[in-house]
Amino acid sequence: MSAPAVELRRITKQFPGVLANDEVDLTVERGSVHALLGENGAGKTTLMNVLYGLYRPTSGTVVIDGHERVFDSPRDAIDAGIGMIHQHFMLVEPMTVTQNVVLGNEPRKWGGLAIDRQRARKEVSELAESYGFDVNPTAAVEDISVGEQQRVEILKALYRGADTLILDEPTAVLTPQEIEELFAVFEELTDAGKTIIFITHKLSEATGAADEVTVLRDGKNVGSVTADDVTGEELAELMVGREVLFDVERPPVETGNVGLAVRDLVVDDERGVRAVDGVEFSVAEGEVLGIAGVDGNGQSELIEAVTGIRSPAAGRVYLGNSEITHRSRRQRIESGMAYVPEDRQARGLVMSYDLVENGLLGSQHDGTFAPGGRIDWSGTEAHAADIIDEYDVRPPETGATAKSLSGGNQQKFIVGREFNRDPEAVVAAHPTRGVDVGSVEFIHEQLLGLRETGTAVLLVSSKLDEVRSLSDRLAVMHDGELMAVVNPDEVTEEQLGLLMAGERPAELPTVAAPETEVET
Amino acid sequence: MNTDWLPDSVAKLLGRLVDASAGERLAVSVAAVVASVLLGGVVTFVSGLFAECATPTFGPSCYNPLSVYYYLFLSPLTSSFSLSIMAEQTSLLLFTGLAVAVSFRAGLFNIGTQGQLVLGGLAAALTAVALGPVLPDGAIGGAIIATVAMLAGAIVGGLFAAIPGALKAYFDANEVITTIMLNFVAADVAFFLVSTYFQKPGSGSIETRDVPEAATFSPVVALLMGLVLVAATTYLLWGTSFGYDLRTAGLQTEAAEYAGVDAKRMVVASMTLSGAIGGAGGAVWVLMAVGRWVTGVPPLGFDGITVSVLASNNPLGVLLAGPLFGTMSAGSLSIDFQLGVPRQLVGVIRGLVILFVAMPEFFRMLGARWGLGGGVQ
Repeated sequence: MSAPAVELRRITKQFPGVLANDEVDLTVERGSVHALLGENGAGKTTLMNVLYGLYRPTSGTVVIDGHERVFDSPRDAIDAGIGMIHQHFMLVEPMTVTQNVVLGNEPRKWGGLAIDRQRARKEVSELAESYGFDVNPTAAVEDISVGEQQRVEILKALYRGADTLILDEPTAVLTPQEIEELFAVFEELTDAGKTIIFITHKLSEATGAADEVTVLRDGKNVGSVTADDVTGEELAELMVGREVLFDVERPPVETGNVGLAVRDLVVDDERGVRAVDGVEFSVAEGEVLGIAGVDGNGQSELIEAVTGIRSPAAGRVYLGNSEITHRSRRQRIESGMAYVPEDRQARGLVMSYDLVENGLLGSQHDGTFAPGGRIDWSGTEAHAADIIDEYDVRPPETGATAKSLSGGNQQKFIVGREFNRDPEAVVAAHPTRGVDVGSVEFIHEQLLGLRETGTAVLLVSSKLDEVRSLSDRLAVMHDGELMAVVNPDEVTEEQLGLLMAGERPAELPTVAAPETEVET
Repeated sequence: MNTDWLPDSVAKLLGRLVDASAGERLAVSVAAVVASVLLGGVVTFVSGLFAECATPTFGPSCYNPLSVYYYLFLSPLTSSFSLSIMAEQTSLLLFTGLAVAVSFRAGLFNIGTQGQLVLGGLAAALTAVALGPVLPDGAIGGAIIATVAMLAGAIVGGLFAAIPGALKAYFDANEVITTIMLNFVAADVAFFLVSTYFQKPGSGSIETRDVPEAATFSPVVALLMGLVLVAATTYLLWGTSFGYDLRTAGLQTEAAEYAGVDAKRMVVASMTLSGAIGGAGGAVWVLMAVGRWVTGVPPLGFDGITVSVLASNNPLGVLLAGPLFGTMSAGSLSIDFQLGVPRQLVGVIRGLVILFVAMPEFFRMLGARWGLGGGVQ
């Protein structure tokens, strides 16, 4: 039997105050697909950065094809046949596919004085063809889809002679269709003898696309298993370290008065195009109203109008019994509206602030944290520490900057901050996007906990199972309008699909709002 | 952002720079000064080989690099005259450096500190001149006049900066362009007002009457005011809700909006604050340095931009960059007539110091913009 393509032996990586990898062993056989599974902050990316030469391990050895190696930089790793495709693509958008693939390794002519464009194009087309990739070598990268851009990244690594490809959360940016295509690409590559390691926190991907799965937890390897021999539940337990409940209990709750409502709401997007066209709904205290729909059907604009980020063109917004249509964002925060925004890195956090300052975001004029306009930093720090503790944000340091956290941990911090406001109403957009299973469960519990204490929750999510399991009533949005409000327990997947596509199926299990009309 | 084209070693270096601690950055700045002195010394020495002089002072060279740097950095500390010039320059640069830093922190590039200083200074001079006959002569009267004149300078500077602030907030006019243009407006308006209405009788230059003697103060007092201002600005930015709003708006507009910061009002407010500090700086220039308003205001507002950038827009950094600038200003005055080294060469040497100290900060800002650094994932 030949030597494994990659063997990591007792890799330890210590950052100041954080032990990211703790004596991790990892063996990846040549020609296999290996999934590296773990929660946010489990040390997956750090381990792969060690393999790719971005970090030098504190201790431990890297063995490639049976030879021990020391990488000072990615250049050394590339020379040893390792290629890495990062979560955020490293492509020059205005340049063509060919130019991007050969960048830094351009074929030369005239004694190295000029780039041999013809040869470059030919080599890239041949490379793409040999793996059955469908990409146009002369297209500009900015004009092709995200899935195609990812293939360009893969081609780039292959062009540099990679035998082992590392992909960091490759599915995070893809549509379900594109994910299927990516996994087909994996097969093409392994058939050609390449080795693939991909990072994920999604169980289905690990079991579906990989031959072997290694689970990391708290920087340790807690198990390497053959994908065919393991169930999703077993993997989840390995990842989280305890049993994970996939079904959410939604106990009946006595609903109160109207917590949040909109009437005849019309909202334009930034180009002045009508995005929300006459939407009406009300959410009672102690109720979760879910909004499902294909992204881009006006959900973002609807939420922004409710939370006060965007002014509606017409219509009214109510918080409790008071109209807040013309109240500022700050007044809405002060009246008890919590908001988990869609774009956590642009809106929900200030990336260069530490977690203490980020814990203050939105409460900076609150008398609890800033009596008389002067910030009480020790109280604010304690507040951040509480969120970190309660929501298991890693690394658990108030002094860590938001940008140093992984996406899932950023999300946990935002959710923690907003849910801890003791709000009257919560508007949550994709609250578990990019979050690992253990934390998804926790966030769901917290959201239902708010519901039980009489908070009105407006939940927008592109995850159908999420909105279905959490919502008391489920509205489907299509082209700026609410198609119907249905009972999430009775509606079928097919009916939801039709509604999301803008068609109204027969015999829909619609539900009326609880008996609490808003005074208009 | 895409940094794949960067050689790994460069990306690594930039990332390291972004993650550098305050102490490390200070060490880098000190090393930069040393490096600039070494390079500038060579430049001085070589230039001296081509110059003509009676007796070469440093080997075959006419210019002695050691004395040049002695005069640039140390001589201001040796005589009371140059010490007072140094204190004067330093205190003024503290004001203008802080004025610029406040606007840069808010994400606004106020290039108009010069204009705000010119008009603030004029307002202070006219106020002091007008109050002179009304209030009693003596320490108390002088203190009242100085206080009111400083306030007048801050108010006029603030209002003048509120114009580009409002233009930006409500008409989306780029503040870099408007503040640069308003610098010319300020200079011309001041010239017109003084020459037409407030000209000092019998004087050949365009200037106001002298402010009352009792209202003037020494560079030491001005320096103390500067120190208080540094402390106050630091507290305002990091200790108050307003400062939190200002910094958040400067870093991430969308996050500020999310946190309930009224973006338009914040633009106007931070420009006004920046202009008020610049205007107060103008008042200090009038009351401490010249005793009246006179045309040909030195480019303190523009130097404030360099000071602020050197200090990475941090008030405490201004406390270091201000004196560095102030010392070199005072020192370069004497090099010319003491050593016969041409002013242009002194300019080159000063420029090297600034360049060397500013570049690490510049690359740090660049690295941060490119998303490098950030430590653990």
